[in-house]
Amino acid sequence: MQIKDGNFSTRASEALADASLQKSVSNLKRGFVAARARAVAALPEYEAMREAGAAIKDHTLDNLDFYLERYEREVVRQGGHVHWAADADEACRIVRQICTRAGAKSVVKGKSMVSEEIGLNEALEADGLEVVESDAGEYIVQLAKEAPSHIVMPTVHKTTDDIADLFYKHHRAHGFDERETDPAELIGQVRSILRDKYFAADIGITGANFLVAETGSNIIVTNEGNGDLTSTLARVHIVTAGIEKVVPTLNDAAVLLRLLARSALGMEITSYTTLSTGPRRPGDADGPDEYHVVLIDNGRTKMLAGTFRPMLRCIRCGACMNHCPVYMSVGGHAYGWVYPGPMGAVLTPMIAGHEKASELPHACTLNGRCQQVCPVKIPLPDLLRRLRHDQWEAGFIKSKVRWGIGLWAWLATHPALYRVSTRIGVAVLRLFGKSSGRLTRLPFAGGWTAGRDMPAPQGTTFHAAWAKRNPQR
Amino acid sequence: MSESRRDDMLARIREAVGGNRRSEEDLAQLEKRLTQPSAAPRPRVSDDRLGQFIAKAEANLITVERIASLQMLVPAVRALLSQTSAPPDISVAPALEHLGWPADWHVNIGAGRRKEPMSVTMAVAGIAETGSIVMRSDPTSPTTLNFLPDVHVIVLRASDVVDYPEDAWARVRAGAPGWPRTVNIISGPSRTADVGGIIVRPAHGPKSVHLLLCHD
Repeated sequence: MQIKDGNFSTRASEALADASLQKSVSNLKRGFVAARARAVAALPEYEAMREAGAAIKDHTLDNLDFYLERYEREVVRQGGHVHWAADADEACRIVRQICTRAGAKSVVKGKSMVSEEIGLNEALEADGLEVVESDAGEYIVQLAKEAPSHIVMPTVHKTTDDIADLFYKHHRAHGFDERETDPAELIGQVRSILRDKYFAADIGITGANFLVAETGSNIIVTNEGNGDLTSTLARVHIVTAGIEKVVPTLNDAAVLLRLLARSALGMEITSYTTLSTGPRRPGDADGPDEYHVVLIDNGRTKMLAGTFRPMLRCIRCGACMNHCPVYMSVGGHAYGWVYPGPMGAVLTPMIAGHEKASELPHACTLNGRCQQVCPVKIPLPDLLRRLRHDQWEAGFIKSKVRWGIGLWAWLATHPALYRVSTRIGVAVLRLFGKSSGRLTRLPFAGGWTAGRDMPAPQGTTFHAAWAKRNPQR
Repeated sequence: MSESRRDDMLARIREAVGGNRRSEEDLAQLEKRLTQPSAAPRPRVSDDRLGQFIAKAEANLITVERIASLQMLVPAVRALLSQTSAPPDISVAPALEHLGWPADWHVNIGAGRRKEPMSVTMAVAGIAETGSIVMRSDPTSPTTLNFLPDVHVIVLRASDVVDYPEDAWARVRAGAPGWPRTVNIISGPSRTADVGGIIVRPAHGPKSVHLLLCHD
């Protein structure tokens, strides 16, 4: 998927003014947050499970080369193929080659965030392949030519009416002539259309929630059963996965699965947890003839090598965005790429480059809720602060901001001057706010005072008040 | 083509984590970890394992019915079929082929079909922690029977209910040599909330899951 360059603030302003988006987001946020809280409160062991989950991920990342090699060995032993892709282009090229060799015309996809990260659909469509997303949410955003706005609930931004219009426009070709508004009817249309697609598909592409080194399996979790049909009915099953998805054993995966469902949806487990290992075995009545895994780096080794290694613990549950006041105000599209919210604000600059996402690390109040709810304890606020620092060092901060912060820093390191200027500042503000005790307009802060008044300072400066209280100092 | 690309990528990863500095002893530790049982904390399972399994399965909207033996399977399935004049048309996993299905039914033994009113399959384990049912693929147990039917009927021996998924892996391995192509852990009917946040059943898979818990 193409990254939308720059200008988070413009997209955020548009999102705030979009009444329909605001309604959809606010309808859902209470549900997610409350459900997770209930699931966590029901488990006295939860905190210890979180520690264990983070420890498994850290151990795996510390030995990632070992576990990837072991994983590869097991996949090959089971008759599968493993491909290594250093970046998005290489990954797309590998998948396209597999499709070409298979003489493929049609592709059905289960949900895979990394496939969106590498722009796989566009690459396959450019080769003339029909590509259909099978997860109902992904199907809807694909039909609407939009991007998902949440990594777990891609359609958070769309109302039932939006979807009714969309299906009315596109599904007449499939014999659905009425404009339906009942969610069950709308999903029934998707079920019926996709049923044929699964059977016709040459290639089934899924992501992986986990790759298991012990058995060479990939694990996906779904509630719909779409990824499971995708990986079973197509002639060729291709798994696209980031290199950080590997875990040592099935038991390690079990620990992380407990955290994933609770953090993502507030449930103990999703309807389906499916482990796929190699192609169909001799005598099997179904399953693919070929099984391929594309292991994708695309900036991950860079994170692995430095201070951003904890970000690779991420299991893509979406809890950080569900608890983020910024995400909950502006929705996912404002972030401009595949990964929104706090995890996206770290991943997007790390994968796509600072210059493409310079505003994202600043779209954060550092309130720390994301870290509190993260099932693998990623210190997201620290990483965002670190990104701000790196951006400053690399000169990606706008000159006006640099100049302002530089002036502030200079003033703050000259105490005498600081005291004099704050005293003057307080006096001036008091003078202007004399009549009402409020200031309705401030220079350089018109945006802020447009929506609220600034209270005029009461009394003296902090330094003066402090000195008066503690005369001995 | 891919050999050098693979080696380069792996070399970069190894360098990033200091994998070159791993000693023989470190490697032995990593190998050992791959075969050790898990020590991770997990939710407590009640002493009444079967009771918890049934309660959790029902909370997942799986309907549970107890049968005394596999001989009761055909009558139990008959009772589930809608009372229409047309003869029943169902798919049955080869594992359950020998159970004396009525000659006037249409019984497809094998993989699932595009239009599939009902399938009857055999599970390898139940998990009390979450009320889940574990299916393994093999020539007698096609995976498509778990996803294509409107109504999925699963037979599970009560003695195959274990506490945790960690205990279920052994049951998966027990049936046949090697790890199977597909393992499905099923914890309810197919559903989605992608339209307006409202839960709809089914999405792509079964509308209902009926468990026949067999006590012989």
